[in-house]
Amino acid sequence: MTTFIIRRLLLVPVLLFGVTVVIFGMMMLLSPTERSALYIRDFPKNEAALPGIIKQYGLDDPFYLQYWHWMVGRADPVSGERKGGILFGDFGFSRTASEPVVTLIKDRFPNTLDLTIWAVAPVILVGIWLGVQAAVHHNGIIDQAARIFSIVGTSFPTFVFGLLMLMLFYATLHWFQPGRLSDVNLRIISQPGFNHYTSLITFDALLNGRFDIFLDAIRHMVLPILTLSYISWATFLRVTRSSMLETLRMEYVTTARAKGLKESDVIYKHAQPNAMIPVVTLAGFQVISLLGGVVITETVFNYPGIGSAAARAAVSLDVVAVLGFALFDGLILIVANLIVDILYAVVDPRVRLS
Amino acid sequence: MPELLLEVQGLETQFRTPEGVVHAVNGVSFGLKEGETLGVVGESGCGKSVTMLSFLRLIPNPPGKVTAGKALYRGQDLLKMTDEEIRHVRGAQIGMIFQDPMTSLNPVMTIGKQLMEPLQLHLGMNKQQAAVRSAELLEMVGISDAKQHLNDYPHQFSGGMRQRVMIAMALSCNPQILIADEPTTALDVTIQAQIVELVKRLRDELGMTIIWITHDLGIVAGLAQRVIVMYGGFIVEEAPVKELYANISHPYTVGLIGSLPRVDETVRQRLFSIEGMPPVLLNKPTACPFAPRCKWVMERCWKENPPLENISEEHRIACFVDVKTGKAR
Repeated sequence: MTTFIIRRLLLVPVLLFGVTVVIFGMMMLLSPTERSALYIRDFPKNEAALPGIIKQYGLDDPFYLQYWHWMVGRADPVSGERKGGILFGDFGFSRTASEPVVTLIKDRFPNTLDLTIWAVAPVILVGIWLGVQAAVHHNGIIDQAARIFSIVGTSFPTFVFGLLMLMLFYATLHWFQPGRLSDVNLRIISQPGFNHYTSLITFDALLNGRFDIFLDAIRHMVLPILTLSYISWATFLRVTRSSMLETLRMEYVTTARAKGLKESDVIYKHAQPNAMIPVVTLAGFQVISLLGGVVITETVFNYPGIGSAAARAAVSLDVVAVLGFALFDGLILIVANLIVDILYAVVDPRVRLS
Repeated sequence: MPELLLEVQGLETQFRTPEGVVHAVNGVSFGLKEGETLGVVGESGCGKSVTMLSFLRLIPNPPGKVTAGKALYRGQDLLKMTDEEIRHVRGAQIGMIFQDPMTSLNPVMTIGKQLMEPLQLHLGMNKQQAAVRSAELLEMVGISDAKQHLNDYPHQFSGGMRQRVMIAMALSCNPQILIADEPTTALDVTIQAQIVELVKRLRDELGMTIIWITHDLGIVAGLAQRVIVMYGGFIVEEAPVKELYANISHPYTVGLIGSLPRVDETVRQRLFSIEGMPPVLLNKPTACPFAPRCKWVMERCWKENPPLENISEEHRIACFVDVKTGKAR
């Protein structure tokens, strides 16, 4: 098991290198002019400045040179000072957000994490349980409801669902507000009495004993949570259900019953651990879909996370910021897949040895 | 007449399928004496396994349902027991092993844990006691270094070893009856012989009553005292094993024996095979279910289903024909 984990860890730098090459290569598909657009104000008037900008930032250097400069930074032609260099933790300055990319991610990511945790945790806890129940009571009420719920969920694009939620609960019923927190509470949490243990507002509110702020935060997050998690609910339920149905037909389930085990032990001790194997695989794919869902959901609800920041950077051709977000997302994916691989070995002993 | 340990009467099991209701077991009755080994023979799909699973109530419902009959174990009807009561019969009183050892052990649970479960459940052992006993059981079925193997997973075992584990598990609580559902079918021939020998040895040591389901009449000849031949969910012939081989009376059994390869044969000839397929009974048959494949078939066989009748004291068949003369009995 330990060697299994070490082998996986050794792969991480290799994967990261691959990720940097791919995302940088994709950015290089844009012409130097397009990549310098953000550095020029009053574009048609100041068009003459373009060649100077391209030259100053080395935007028409060969690919390997530009990639090298992105990695280790580049001496400023005027001051001679090193600028950039992601290996030194300098991801550059985002013009759209008017702050360094690293600061931007640091500020925004806790909000996204807060949202994602509240979106994903109930899915894993309740969605899997519901899937098992649907399979155990095959063709029963829970099963039928789960089937309809899953079909609707898997066929609803996130942005359509999000907009419908906004129209219904925000514009028509006025139940929930978009944004992060009410103004009153925003002021409270920025005051010294409020400790930021985790930077996640819901958790900090609980840790500070401010249940009212927690509820306020959750109230603001309900719609984004529903939008972000609906597809996950649907897929987890569907896959758990079908995997469990298949497992319940296995001979070792009959063996367990023939031993005289309680039906609950047959289901939760013998069948479910086997049925979880495909679900863990699914979890790996869900991380990818979550990263995409975060961009759409945060944009639709104007929620200040990295998803909405990335979307804004992308539409305004903020190359430096887009590279930063892409690399950060890549890192999250690699870590998530590492966790899934380890989980996979935990649930399936046959994986450990090979 | 000795007390019957298990007495099955008029057992009927049906499955609801999209094509209609399949009558898998149709009024099967048989008795099992304490200490005897009963062979149940028939080709795939003739209702052998379903019969056994039915009275243990292991048929998945839906789609399956036991629609009629009694199964008296020590005078108590298994089919009328509560779920809780029958749990204490399964594993504790009646142990079962299955056809495919590759799929009948839980792949994500250690061998030790699977062996310990019934011990803790039925015999009330604690973990340490159950672990010690599990190792003893593995030794008993011929797995050496048993202690080391307790933490192994099924995929680390070969097919033969897994079947030994299944046998150890089925016997762990000293059941009165062992039901072996084609335990050698999925194994290669040398391992088959080892498993049969193992069960024989354990039967003699522990004095178990065995129901051995198989489609191999050769294994039955060396193992069983009495044989039931099933076809289309009916018992078509029942006799002590010697009587059966000396005096084969049902056309289907004739076909089964004819399809066995013989080592003492001097002239090589093609193995006999019974033409056609076993029936899928969507309706309760009004004719003999074997009639379409029978070479002695008569007018009467198409009109009524022959009942199971004694032709001598211990020999019963369900057939209108005397296969020796080819005429009606």
